[in-house]
This record gives sequence, structure tokens and C-alpha cells, in this order.
Amino acid sequence: MIRTLLALIICATPLFAQQIGNPTAQDGVIPPRGFFAIRNAKIVTVSGPDIENGTIVIRDGKIEAVGANVSVPAGAQTIDGSGLSVYPGMIDAGTNMGLVEVPQGASGTVDLSEVGDLNPNAKAIIAVNPHSAHIAVTRVEGITNTLTAPTGGLISGQATLINLLGTSPKEMAVVPQLALVINYPRIGFGGGGFGGFQQQAPQSLAETLTANERQIDQIRKLLRDAEAYGRAQDAYAKDKSLPRPDRNVVLEPLVPYVRGEQPVIFRADREAEIRGALRFADEMKLKPIILGGNDAAKVATLLKEKNVPVILTGIFSLPAREDDAYDALYETAAKLQQAGVRYCISTGDAGAEVRNLAQYAGMAAAFGLSRADAVKAVTLYPAQILNVADRLGSIETGKMANLVITDGDLLEIRTRIRYLLIDGRPVVLSSRHTELNDAFKNRK
Amino acid sequence: MKQFISRLLFLAIITTLPVNAARAQRPAAPETLIRNATVLTVTHGTLQNTDVLMRNGKIAAIGKNLNASANARVIDGTGKYVMPGIIDCHSHSMLDTINEGTLAVTSMVRTEDVLNPTDVDLYRELAGGVTTLNLLHGSANPIGGLNTVVKIKYGRPAGEFLFPGAMPGIKFALGENVKRSSQPNQPGVTRRYPNTRMGVEEVIRDAFTRARDYKRTWDEYREAAKKDKNLIPPRRDLQLEPLVEILEGKRYVHAHCYIASEILMLINLADEFGFKIKTFQHVLEGYKVAKEIAAHGAGASIFADSWAYKIEAYDAIPYNAAIMTRAGVVVSMNSDSDERARRLNIEAAKAMHWGDLTEEQALKLVTLNPAIQLGIQDRVGSIDVGKDADLAIWNGHPFSVYSRVDTTLIDGEVFFDREKDLARRPELAKERAALEQAEPNRPRTQGQSPPTSRRRPSGHEDDDIEIEKP
Amino acid sequence: MPKVRSRLIVVSALLFLFAGTSYAQRSAIDTYAITNARIVTVSGPVIDRGTVVVRNGLIVAAGANITAPSDARVIDGTGLTVYPGLIDSYTNLALPEAAPSPSPGGAGGGGFFLQTQQQRPAAGPNSTQPVGLQPEVMVEDVIRPGGTEIEASRNVGITTALTSPRSGIWMGQSALINLAGETPQQMIVRSPVAMHVGFTPLRGGGYPGSLLGVFSTLRQMMLDAQRYRDSLQMYERAPRGMRRPETDRSLAALIPVIDGRMPVVMLANSEREIARALDLGAEFKLKLIIAGGREADRVADRLVKQNVPVLLSLNLPKRTTAALPEADPEPLRVLRERVEAQQTAGKLAKAGVRFAFQSGSLTNVSDLMGNARITIENGLQAVDAVRAFTIWPAEILGVQNQLGSIEVGKIANLTVTRGDLFDRNSRVAHVFIDGRQVDIRPPAGGVGPGRNTLSGTWTANVNLGQGDRAITLTLQQEGERLTGSMAGPLGAGEISNGSASNTGEVKFTVSVNVEGQTKEATFTGRLANNEIRGNVAIVGSAPGTFTATRATQPN
Repeated sequence: MIRTLLALIICATPLFAQQIGNPTAQDGVIPPRGFFAIRNAKIVTVSGPDIENGTIVIRDGKIEAVGANVSVPAGAQTIDGSGLSVYPGMIDAGTNMGLVEVPQGASGTVDLSEVGDLNPNAKAIIAVNPHSAHIAVTRVEGITNTLTAPTGGLISGQATLINLLGTSPKEMAVVPQLALVINYPRIGFGGGGFGGFQQQAPQSLAETLTANERQIDQIRKLLRDAEAYGRAQDAYAKDKSLPRPDRNVVLEPLVPYVRGEQPVIFRADREAEIRGALRFADEMKLKPIILGGNDAAKVATLLKEKNVPVILTGIFSLPAREDDAYDALYETAAKLQQAGVRYCISTGDAGAEVRNLAQYAGMAAAFGLSRADAVKAVTLYPAQILNVADRLGSIETGKMANLVITDGDLLEIRTRIRYLLIDGRPVVLSSRHTELNDAFKNRK
Repeated sequence: MKQFISRLLFLAIITTLPVNAARAQRPAAPETLIRNATVLTVTHGTLQNTDVLMRNGKIAAIGKNLNASANARVIDGTGKYVMPGIIDCHSHSMLDTINEGTLAVTSMVRTEDVLNPTDVDLYRELAGGVTTLNLLHGSANPIGGLNTVVKIKYGRPAGEFLFPGAMPGIKFALGENVKRSSQPNQPGVTRRYPNTRMGVEEVIRDAFTRARDYKRTWDEYREAAKKDKNLIPPRRDLQLEPLVEILEGKRYVHAHCYIASEILMLINLADEFGFKIKTFQHVLEGYKVAKEIAAHGAGASIFADSWAYKIEAYDAIPYNAAIMTRAGVVVSMNSDSDERARRLNIEAAKAMHWGDLTEEQALKLVTLNPAIQLGIQDRVGSIDVGKDADLAIWNGHPFSVYSRVDTTLIDGEVFFDREKDLARRPELAKERAALEQAEPNRPRTQGQSPPTSRRRPSGHEDDDIEIEKP
Repeated sequence: MPKVRSRLIVVSALLFLFAGTSYAQRSAIDTYAITNARIVTVSGPVIDRGTVVVRNGLIVAAGANITAPSDARVIDGTGLTVYPGLIDSYTNLALPEAAPSPSPGGAGGGGFFLQTQQQRPAAGPNSTQPVGLQPEVMVEDVIRPGGTEIEASRNVGITTALTSPRSGIWMGQSALINLAGETPQQMIVRSPVAMHVGFTPLRGGGYPGSLLGVFSTLRQMMLDAQRYRDSLQMYERAPRGMRRPETDRSLAALIPVIDGRMPVVMLANSEREIARALDLGAEFKLKLIIAGGREADRVADRLVKQNVPVLLSLNLPKRTTAALPEADPEPLRVLRERVEAQQTAGKLAKAGVRFAFQSGSLTNVSDLMGNARITIENGLQAVDAVRAFTIWPAEILGVQNQLGSIEVGKIANLTVTRGDLFDRNSRVAHVFIDGRQVDIRPPAGGVGPGRNTLSGTWTANVNLGQGDRAITLTLQQEGERLTGSMAGPLGAGEISNGSASNTGEVKFTVSVNVEGQTKEATFTGRLANNEIRGNVAIVGSAPGTFTATRATQPN
């Protein structure tokens, strides 16, 4: 389907006639997992202290050993890490990576928002395009994983955590359905999501509040239905004498979320919406994560008390209010860190800008966050928030070998990525951009 | 009576508060000395442990152990980096309206007419070390309105922002925006011409053909009027006058464009009519035609790495700056966005990451090169004696992601200072509390719902979208 | 300069033949003497106890030792104060209802929006310019006597008003009218008074469609007018052998403007709007007047230097929103603006800027004197407040020999109050216009049958030419008085000047946000079948329509 769409666009748009070979197709084959030993490198484990001169052994997609005194096993292909640093791959927990190729003027390449307000059954993993040019462009900057979420409506759908490598969604998926995404309704606006921007301005006070309550009620009702649905299915499974409840594709996927088994991501930026989302999650006994979180520092005490994490996406946004301090969003991360709130840093971008994740973290570090925390905010913290810290986010034995080998500080702009491993697979550091560069840089 | 007293009390509070605390302080100290800083001069390298002396708004001296007069303001630059104020060659800040989109040729409109000096984004840009903006008309038409080059003298009236002596300019635009690609057809409404890149060429050709005739008509009149005093002068045409100025080399063309074919089209058209394109703006596919751009003598003002936000941006690559620079094109990095304008240092640094430009080449992308593109390189763009004292003082190297601006000066005056900004916050809170008590600010019990701030887009304004100003 | 002669004028002239007779007859008995009153002459010292004599429409005597003529009708002024008739220096009084639906630029513009257009605003026939760019339009040609608005203004002591065309970029030419008289001709004191300029772009796709284009259009037309003037002069000198310049009524109307003979009133409130007007005025050496002027004090030095007076609006901004804990705080800028607007008049007076008060569409004006009082409490001297309603507007509008003070020979417009004009408890006792006493009623409020049929929340669809926009109106009716607020995409604000008649006529004014500018919109409609339908008139813009239906019943 996706291929057909792309093919259509290629035929319909003369511009694409200029398109040259897309390396993300990877000749249709995912590179095999290797047996590697990275030697003499500085290892920024993130979870523990840095190892100034150490070795990492990678086998079968996993980190087999890491340390200062690890010996290189026989048969391992060695990578000389002299003068280089090894970091865990960066994770952006707030993207639409793979769902959008060109957001404007090419709606056929956009698979972001379903029709209607309640779409828990919309699963990002279904539509992620492994051959999107965005994927290679992003990973060659050291981002190995994204949480890819649908947008729009009130319940947008389910987000997926992917490796930015693979020839099919299945090959990419780390957690196919990781979280439910809810746009917490904004007061005075429609949804809380990207669509909220176009909504009408507030009307009378009473109407505004009623409209808001009505939207929350829509979500509440669906979640309650899902609860009942789950109970009925369970009961029937144990007792076949009960009437058999019909299967329902809308309610079915909600069951693990209403039971608190999987997290629910609430998109909420303003203080009022964050507080509202926390109240709602309490009421419905959900496991909330706040996405956006521009005003999160104002709700820090409550977030800490409830142990609710925040995926900060607004670091590079202009402060929404005229009187906000110029650095209000630059310093949110530092304030959350200080308050002991769990958070991570994200670009919040659809795809094209995700490669700049390091600079988002760097800006937070320029405004109060320690450099070590800034690195954590794009590696270990998102892994913890997404409940995959057993597999991702740091350099520890047994974790997935998503590794970035750099010639300097991970977040610095001048730093280059020298080697990249995803799932223990060596990734060629090329992309649509490097290929276009190669094609034209020597044109005389 | 009680009411009266409370009113008096309130008035007392109000009158003691600064009328507008955001207004910059003046007059400037006659001299300012930055001591012992690392100075990124742009034109003559990086100088360690160096002083910069400013006098009467100009850079008076650069060197070690400089002497300043007794009443000079002294800024300790130890551990700090001084660079020229950043110049953003493509901005729509402080414009109350960006596009006159009703016609395909709107060379008669002037951005200078719609400046809003109170736009808070200006302050936020100062806090990113930006001192000069090229305010451009939007890209709704092949030939757009006239630009305005300003220094961000936030807190002053609009007239004081104008950059004296900057070359007059004009906005052109090609491609999707002028074709109105994203505008749906409306029943019964004829689409505005043009609808294709062919029509775009035709519109510009027609305008310059008319401008040539207009110039001839005036030349002939002036000649004839020497003998015959009873001649009615030709009509002055504000649409064509700027185009005549372009033909005469007195006005710079800043042309928004994307794809290679349209870039070549405009070069050919300009060559044919005998004028120059000063800058191609965005010019995402400039790398494909870098030698043609260089041969024409045009500059390029680009994004560091934005791409794929629309079809004509799909072939954009972050190596654009490097390829064009190596081809001999004067390249600058612009923002086209109040958000991005706050971190142009990062955008410039990216040209080192992608494409291996040297630090000096990368620095020029946001200092000397945009200055050249705006015809103000004798005034700003580098730290040289005699140039305007427009400087940004950073707490680390401006190309480090971990650095931020401490102080921004324009003409030797401080327009942003982080310490002062932090110190001012409690005062503003106090002022707010007092103002909230004033009668006209009391909430109405039966009033309507207060407005909530909109989430502001931070991506590409691409100068065709009217961004709501606060 | 040729004036527009329309069929309307012919009709009006015929009316005058009949109406004029009765006027002449009645004037014979219109000799009045107000005795024992305090007289605020404005031109001279206050006379604590004196007499003003009015005959044949003029002030014939005023002083401490004047004896009432034997044929005069004597009004005992004990406890009363006589002021010169108050002048409201910017209104749309006496204009017909705003025509619905705007005209997009260009007579042949065509397009979707034209189809709904029923009637054009006042337009010059055979104009070379689209509606909105016709400086030849004259208010004189369309004013109508009578009406509740005029009555409401008189009730608070206004005797004279500058009335300007409602909309446009070149809006047209205003007239100064007395607020009494049975024909337009009787009302007019001076016409034209000034050219009026608004900065609201045309709608519907025509050029200029933005503020950018508005300035360029103003410039181009003034340049064209210069050339037209020069061509005409040249042709007049020696027509033989010269091609005759084409007649252009629009450009002709601009000649007195560019020659600096006719003042130009530009609508501008914020500092930058005023600065822009000043720039344009200086560029073309115009005789500029600013109307609105909320932040005029910030450019006081420029106003003094360029000798530009201000018609200062007394429609002072107030917060209209309710307190809601979830809401974002209002910007400091807005909070400051509301407070500082109250201080503008005082600051202008101190800086030596010439100014006059105007109601700013507060035409029911029960708030007018109250707001003037607020400016006094915020730094304006009371004596200057009186001047700003009398001699200052007279001077600015060029009628200081006819109006603005109590002096012999001036037009007998008098406002007589019990208590000081700006005292909270004062009331208007008598109003004289052109030497005749006019009926006044105390302003509405707290009186009336106590109906509240309009109270509650209404959803109104407003069409200003670009499709419907839904706003919410929260109304409270007490008798004939209507208060409340508006919210929605047109901005938020408290309504002012609200009235409701027992026949279902509804009227109010509210600030709206159009094209990024704050403008006064006057809603006029009728309640029928639980629905209010009517027109929206916006100063400086083309008019629109609205339909309101009830959203919720009041609790």
C-alpha cells in the first residue's frame, strides 16, 4: 500500500523524477548482526561511570561485555576506538517518524491522523514506512530509536517504539504497541493535539467549560466501556455459560491501558491541561505520561508526587505567552531535574527535524541541566519512561546493541558519528542526503 | 472614602513603577570596555585574552590591556567569547502583516510601513545574540514588497530600528507559494495568475518590460522638459519605481526559491534584463546549480538543514552551505522564523558538521556574509575598529551547543543582559500584582472566558503563512 | 470643487421647503434668557452668577450684569451651570444604517462574495475607484436628522458632533452637525470638515488586501492627485494643443488634502499606528488630525512638533473577561494599556498636545462623562476637560468663531447642568441647539419596564464579508439599558452604548479585532422570534450582518 502510494507520487510529481537512488531501501536486506569488539574507546555507559579506555563486545545483537578490562574474544571483528567515544543510541520519545514523508502538498504521504475523535485502534506500527528517507537521515545523526505516535482527535491511537533500521515494520519494532496517545482537551480549544491549533477561540465562560468537560467525558465513556468489555471477555473466558460478548476492534486495544498495564500518553502543554490529565489519569487509574509539557515546571511538585514522567517536546518552541521569560522553555528540563521529576527530551517533530535531538538536549544543558543529565535525557531517561530500560538507553551487558561511536561529545554540533550499530547490526552512514551530496558536490 | 484611599494608594504604586520596564536604558555610557575575552573577529581570526573598546557606538580599539576612560562601563570578559552581532538575512519579526497577496506584483508595498517595535520575539532574538534583521515581505507573489533592514533596538520607536545606509531591497518569490499550491480552488473564483513556474517567469518578465518602458518614458520626459516647460510629467508609478531601481543597480533582489530549474530561470531572466539577484533565499537546491549562482554573482541565504516540509523542499540537503561556499557563492544562514532566529549560532555551526566548513567560514554565515548580502558590510559583520559596536558576548564558544548569550550590544548600548533579565523578573511580578488591582483590569463576574495562549508553531513560516502575533 | 449632487439631495431640498417654514415661524419665539446661573464661558473667566441671552440662534449677551430682554423666555438658572454646547469630535451620528455586506475591491471584481451583496455603502457615482477608496464621498449627502442615537447624545449634553463616513480607506469627507434640526441642511454647521482615512484593507480579494497595500494605495492616489492637479492647472493656462486631462472625481477630492487646505483625520490608537500616520502626514505635508489616540501620549513630542491634534476617544478599555483559574494571565502589556489609557488625556495636556474628546462610539454616552471624570482623576485638569469638549474641538475642526465658548455672536449651543459637568451626581438640565431648547431625558438606566428579555447568552454569526464567524454575546438587559460582553474570534470585549427598545430594537457597540486592528463595531438589530438580526457597522471598514440566536437561558 505504502509502496503504491509512493509510486503514485513519483509518477504524479515531476519533481520526483530528479530523485536518485534511496539508500534506505538497503537493497531490501537488513544487515546481519555482527560480532564486534570496540577497543580503546571512551565508553559513556550513562547508567554508570564513564570508562575512559574500555572495550565493548557485541554479539547477537546484544552487548555481551563492557568494561575497562574486557578481553576481545576470538573471532570478533575489532573496531579501533582510539580517540572515539561510545554512547548508547539516542531515543526520541515524541515523534511521528515514518508516518509522514512530506507534510504539505503531498497528503498521500501523510498517515498521521485518522478521521474522528476516538481512534484507539489506529496503530502507528501499521503505517510506519521503513523506506522513508527520514529514517536514514535521522539515524546517521546517532538517533537509533523513536517512539512514533499518531496524532489528532481525542484518542489518537497507539504509539510504537522502533529501531531506525529494518526493511519492514516488524523488523523495526521494539515494542509494536507501546502506549495509547490521548490529546488531553485544551480549555477553549478542541483537542489538545496538533489539531488544537486550528480550533476556535474561547466563547463564553460557561460554554468553554462545558465544551471541555464534554470532550473529557467522551474519552471517559470510551475507557469505561473498554473496562467493562475487558471484564466481560475475561468472565466469558472463565465461564463459557455466560453470553459470549462480541469482539470489538475499538475497545479491545484499550483493555491493557485501562487496566494500567501499559502507559497512556497525554499530550498536554499548559499547566491547566497537565493538571487535568493527572486528575483524569487518577480517576481512571491509568498509567500516565505527559507529552509536550511546556508548563511542566509549574506542576513539578504534583508530577513528582504522582511519579508521572514528562516527554518534553517544547525546548525549541517560542514561549506561548508574551510575558514568559525568554528562556522559559530552555530551562524546563533543568527545573524538572532539580525537582526530581522524571522526564526526557524530545524534538516532538514529525520526522525531518528529529535528527537535531542532540541540540535540544544541548540547549537544556546551556540553561541549567548538567551535561551528563542532558545525555541521559535522550538515552536512559526515555528508555525508562517507555519501560524499555532493560533493553535500551545505556551501555550495559545484556542490552540491545544500539550504539553510537563518535569523535567527541555526543551533543556537540561539530561532533561526527563514526560508527553506528542498531540491534548489533552495522549501519552504513549514508542517507538520501549524503547521496545527493555525493552526486552534486563535484559538479563543475 | 475607602475606595478613594485605595485608589490613591494604587496610583502611588503605579506611578512609581517604570512605565515600560522593557525599554532599554539610555543614554549609553560613552565608552564600554570588554576585558580579557576570546574575540571571534571573523576577519582576522580568534584573539585570546583580548579587550574590545567601544566608543560612541563604534568599535574603537581591539587589543591587550586597553585603557578606557574613568567612567567607561567595563565588562569582565574572562572566560567569555565575543562575536559580532548575528545578522538574520530573512526575518518577518515585527511585521504586523507579511503579505500583500492580492496581486502578483506588489513592489509598491513597503514593510517599513507595518513595523511593530513591541513584538516580544525581538527581545527573544536579542537573547540569541541577533542584532540585525532583514525584514522581508512574504512569498505570496513573484514580485513582492520592499524590505527593511533593522537593528533590534527593542524598546525604542520603530524609526530608531532602521539600519542607516542599508541597501534597499525587495522580495521576489518563485515556486509553490506564488503558484498558491496550497490554496484550494474556490467555486466561482478565478485563480490568481500565475499557476505554474512558466507563469511566474512571465509575470516577472512583464513587470521588467513595463519598468524599462517606464524608465524610458521618464528619461524622454526629462530630456524634453529641458526645452518645453509646459509638459505634463508622466505618472509616477510606485509599482514600477522599485523595478527601475533594480535595473539601475540601486536595489537588491532577495528571491525566495527552491528548485534548480526556477533558480536558473531567474538567473537567465536577470541576465537578459541586465540586473543582478543579490540573494537567493532558501534556495534549497542551490547545491545543484552552485556554479551558475556563483557565475551570476548572487549570494545564497539558506536554512542549515530544513527539508521535506513540502515537495519543493524534498531534495534539500544540509551540505548546501558547504557546496555553495566552495563554488564561490556568498552564503548566509537565516531563520525565516522568530523561533529559529534565537539559535542561528547553532545553525551556522551545522555547516562545520555537515560539509566541513572551517570555523571562520561557518562564522561568516551569520555575520559578515549576511552583511555583504545587505550592503552593510562596512558597518557590521565583523569585529574591526571603526565598525558598529554590535556584539554578542557568550559564556562559551558560540558554536558550542552548551553556550548561551550573556549580553547583546547594539551601537555600544546593552539591549540584552541576562543578569538584568533575571533581576527584573521579580519587579515585573510586582508590577503585575499592582496592575491587576486597577479598576479597568478587574475581572468581570459575567465576563467571557479568558483567552488561552495558542500553541505556537515553531517550524517553517516559509514566509507565506501569516503567523499570529501576540 | 464640484460637490456630489444626487437624487437624494433633491429630495432633501424639497423637504426643506416645507420643513423650513415651520422652523422660521418658531424661531420668532426662540429668545431665551438663562438667569442667575453659573456661566462657564471657556473663553473668559467663569461668571459665578450671570445671565446668557439667546436670540435668533445666536448668543447675544452673556455676563454678570445682563438683564433679560422683555420678550425672552426666562429660565431661572439658580443652581445651574451653563457650558458651551459640548462637541463630540468623532461620531457616525445621523448616518443611515450601515449597508450590509462589504464590497470587494474593484467595481468589476466579481467573485464569490459579491453574490450576497445587497447594497453598497455610500459611494460616489461614476467614481474611478472602488468603494473604500473614494475620497469624494461626502457625509453631507447622506445624513438624516432624528433618531435615537442623536437623542441619546443630546441627553448627555452633546450639541454638536463631527460625523464621518463609516468605512473605507479613503473614507470620505465629514461634516460638523448640530444635533437638532429637521433637515440635513439645518443640522450642518460646516461641511466638508475633513478627509477621513482608515487603514482597514479591502476584503474579498481586491487590492489592497493588507495593511501593506493600504499605505501604498494612499501614497499612489496622493501622487496621482498631485499630477492631476498640475495637469489641470496647465490645461487651464493653455488648453490649446494639449490633450485634456480626464475628469477624475476621486483625485479631485484629494487636491485640497494634498494642498494642505483640508485636514485629514486618520484613525490610529496604538503608538505605532499613530507614528505611521505621522510619517505619512509628514511625507505628503498633510494637515493631519489623529482620531482615537489611545497611546498618543507616547508620541506627544512628535505630535507637538508636527502640530498634529488628537481627537481622543473616551471609550476607555476595560477588562471584559471573567476570572478563571485555568486561564493564562493577561499580558502585562494589556494590563498597562488599560491603566495608561486613563492617563492619556492628562499627559497630552501637560505635553501641550492639542486634543478634543470624542465618544469613540459610546454614543448612548451614559458613560461619556463618567469616563471624562476618570481622565480627570488620572491627571487631566477639570478645566481642560471642559475645553476638550468645547473650544478645543472647535479650534481643531476650524469652527472656533462659531462654537466652543459662550461669547456674543457665537452659535447658541448651550449645555446646562445641575451640578458640575463631571460631578458624579450632576445631570443635564437643559440643552440649547441653534438657540432652541431641545427636549432631553435622563439617560436610560434603572428605569423602564424592567423587562429583561434580552438577558442571557447568545450565539451570533457575524458576516463581515469572509464567511460567518460565530461569536458569543452575554447580555444583561435592565429596562432600556443593555450591558454585557462579547467573545469569540473577533476578540473579546465589554459592550458599551447598549440599548433595547420595547419594540425590539437592539443596539450596542463593542471593540472587535479586524485585520489585526482593534475597531469599534456597532451592532444594530431587531429581536423577533427569539432571534436578533441586523447589521454590523465598523469604523473604518465595510459593514456586515449578524444573526444571533439564544444559547442558554440565564440562571
